[in-house]
Amino acid sequence: MATEILDNTAEDPGRRAPLVLGGHTFTTLTETVCEVVERPTPRAWWVAFSLSLALSGLFFALLGYLVVTGIGVWGLNIPTAWAFDITNFVFWVGIGHAGTLISAILFLFRQKWRTAINRFAEGMTIFAVVCALVFPTIHTGRPWFDYWLMPIPNQMKMWPQFRSPLLWDVFAVSTYFTVSLLFWYVGMIPDLATLRDRAKTRLRKVLYGIFSLGWRGSGRQWHHYERVYLLLAALATPLVLSVHSVVSFDFAVSQLPGWHTTIFPPYFVAGAIFGGFAMVLTLLIPIRAWLGLHHIVTARHLENMAKIVLATGMMVGYAYAMELFIAWYSGNPYERFVFINRALGPYAWAYWTMIGCNVLAPQLFWFERGRRNPLALWVVAMLVNVGMWFERFVIIVTSLTRDFLPSSWDYFRPTWVDLLTLAGSFGLFLTLLLLFIRFLPSFAMAEVKSVMPEAGLEHGRHRGHGQYWGEIPHQHDRQFEGGTP
Amino acid sequence: MSIPDIFQEERRLGVGAERLGRMAAGVGVAAIAASLVLAAVTAGGVRRLAFAYLTSYAWALSLALGALFFVILQHLTRAGWSVVVRRLAEGVAATLPYWAALVLPVLVSMGVLYRWSHGDVVAADVLLQAKSAYLNVPFFVVRLTVYFLVWLLLTRFFVGRSRAQDASGDPAVSLLLQRRAAPAMIAFALTITFASFDLLMSLDPHWFSTVFGVYYFAGSIVGVVALLTVMALVLQRSGLLRHAITVEHYHDLGKLLFAFTVFWAYIAFSQYMLCWYAALPEETGWFVRRQTHGWGVVGLVLVLGHFLLPFLALLSRTPKRTPRLLAVAAGWMLLMHWVDLYWLVVPEVSREDAVPRLVDMTVFVAVAALGTAFVIWALRRHSLVPERDPRLAESLAFENA
Repeated sequence: MATEILDNTAEDPGRRAPLVLGGHTFTTLTETVCEVVERPTPRAWWVAFSLSLALSGLFFALLGYLVVTGIGVWGLNIPTAWAFDITNFVFWVGIGHAGTLISAILFLFRQKWRTAINRFAEGMTIFAVVCALVFPTIHTGRPWFDYWLMPIPNQMKMWPQFRSPLLWDVFAVSTYFTVSLLFWYVGMIPDLATLRDRAKTRLRKVLYGIFSLGWRGSGRQWHHYERVYLLLAALATPLVLSVHSVVSFDFAVSQLPGWHTTIFPPYFVAGAIFGGFAMVLTLLIPIRAWLGLHHIVTARHLENMAKIVLATGMMVGYAYAMELFIAWYSGNPYERFVFINRALGPYAWAYWTMIGCNVLAPQLFWFERGRRNPLALWVVAMLVNVGMWFERFVIIVTSLTRDFLPSSWDYFRPTWVDLLTLAGSFGLFLTLLLLFIRFLPSFAMAEVKSVMPEAGLEHGRHRGHGQYWGEIPHQHDRQFEGGTP
Repeated sequence: MSIPDIFQEERRLGVGAERLGRMAAGVGVAAIAASLVLAAVTAGGVRRLAFAYLTSYAWALSLALGALFFVILQHLTRAGWSVVVRRLAEGVAATLPYWAALVLPVLVSMGVLYRWSHGDVVAADVLLQAKSAYLNVPFFVVRLTVYFLVWLLLTRFFVGRSRAQDASGDPAVSLLLQRRAAPAMIAFALTITFASFDLLMSLDPHWFSTVFGVYYFAGSIVGVVALLTVMALVLQRSGLLRHAITVEHYHDLGKLLFAFTVFWAYIAFSQYMLCWYAALPEETGWFVRRQTHGWGVVGLVLVLGHFLLPFLALLSRTPKRTPRLLAVAAGWMLLMHWVDLYWLVVPEVSREDAVPRLVDMTVFVAVAALGTAFVIWALRRHSLVPERDPRLAESLAFENA
């Protein structure tokens, strides 16, 4: 490339914007991504890792304390039987939606820009689901009996309650975890092979060698690989919708006002994608700056993500509005009370935090300057993270603390164990994430290369779908040749 | 594969289409006359006619609205593949002025359709009193006026600018449409939601469902993608756009048809299952009416015909890449979408049996025939492809890798 393009956010509707900048070639791209894994461990990584690991240690210590002491160390009690545990569960599962959305749904929609962020988002998905899985596990109170949730044939003929959405959760989340893991791993194989081929030490050679499953990069292997990738994308797509739909069923099948409403499944899915993308932005913006990957995760990528955050934020806002309107329209006094209570009751502070963070904050993304300023992006994304946690808190706690019987009304206050367990779960999440960045290819080299101009030049005029490069002769230019309009 | 040169082929509707338009209009008028006669001579015929009209009207309106959504969505996402079929969707959306006029029969028959429009009924009903600030005749009329104003403005803007681009070839038009697409989407989402509440959900003014707007939306997208597929095939068979639309575009339409069929099923399942599970009488009554006295059969027809069959039929690659097969599936989905609206509307007038009356058929024929004429009239003065859209070349060269 003769001239280096620095800004790929400009719009020319006749031409697709380049997705990799900085004059990268295949070689320099490989160098840039592999260098993160191959260079000596930077001190900053050690600092971040130690802090995360300490927080993660706190998390497990608190879990130990909980199991030894009992659920009473938490602030929840009847009528608030669900509080931080389920809020955290739904929060983390929600975060875990962006990765598979990017790798599966955006893949099916031919959104080529996803190649720069999909690997990272998929990794984040896996770690978020790991964090999510911890909470229902300990929420049962006697986690040593958790295997009862599995439908294991047994002499006592004891079976789980198949009609309970809590059991559907077990199947939905574990299926989602399995497919996401497969997707992440299968997608990584060619890049693992690259790391193997570049490895300088015996240990690295052996380990990357084992995990790259004998990848040679032959045409036949690529053919199979792309088939599998497409099939996995098609399988993962319904999962993106089903997991959070099933999570929403946990609430919506009940008869509790504020929980029982038919819009919950699509509303939860939109919220999950919203929260997941916000988390991708929160993590990717500093990491992009830290690793200097501005040419791979370009301004356009950030802008596209901001647009998705805005779009899904508007969907969530739509769902809030529908809930409010129908609560009034139903004429049901209990429904009406729940929503008045949310907005004006004892948890009004949480409700308005949620509205401010989820509905108001993303409005900044209507403005180009808001979408193109990494700092503004990061702040809004952070607010959305907070807002999405509070959304689940508001749904769960406002409906439970004030149910049908005013004599049993309560006000939930978290204990120090509640708060530190939530903080600790971030430790586990960040620990896994830092290990991932350090030891695995966190940007999909092979896929990014496929959207670079070099990838298709030998095909001449042939154009695959969604090309973002090169020129196709314009028909209307030809029409006016020879002076005949 | 070389890029087809569409400037060598016929891109405008010819005399055949004009003739078909006149014929369709004639059939439509005749069917209206037949419906009126049927309504006059059968007992309770006028009442049934009102519901039959609402069913088919909501069907046709959903197609026009779906088309408007399709057009806005293509601009919002900077879509390249769809340029060659976008003008067809613009043509369907451009029928909205006709449907705005044809909402009059609904307003005229309000007293028959909506029991909340009767003061004495409301006075005897606590729930209706609680909703009377929303469910009352003047506000209903005002709301419908607002919805149609929004839709007509959106159509005028998105269809008008695209047609103007045929002459100017100005790429700035594409950028402008893209910028306006996002706020347009918000206006569209709110209007279609409340329109579905007003026209369809308030038929049973006690019943409510927060996802109802999404349900109507999902069905309308299934409908419009199916309609575009059928239109593309009909045009190509009559010698138009033979090079512009390729099997690749059918493939993508087929994928969208499949995806939105599944999305419709997802929303329908969510709505049904949650009400069934919670078993609150205030919600289940609406479903009980649709499961008893033969209506359960219609529900099963929807489960099979609106989901399972098309799911299996459209799952693999071959049917999506065989335009004739795909068009059969698309025609079927258009019919099923009508059955869906029949299932939404008619149980409110005929609880005792689900058997369609002759007047349901004649009204459907009237609306479908008139709709055909409207689409032809909307398309006839312009090229059938956005000739100078900057992404046309990409759309023509498009291949599913």
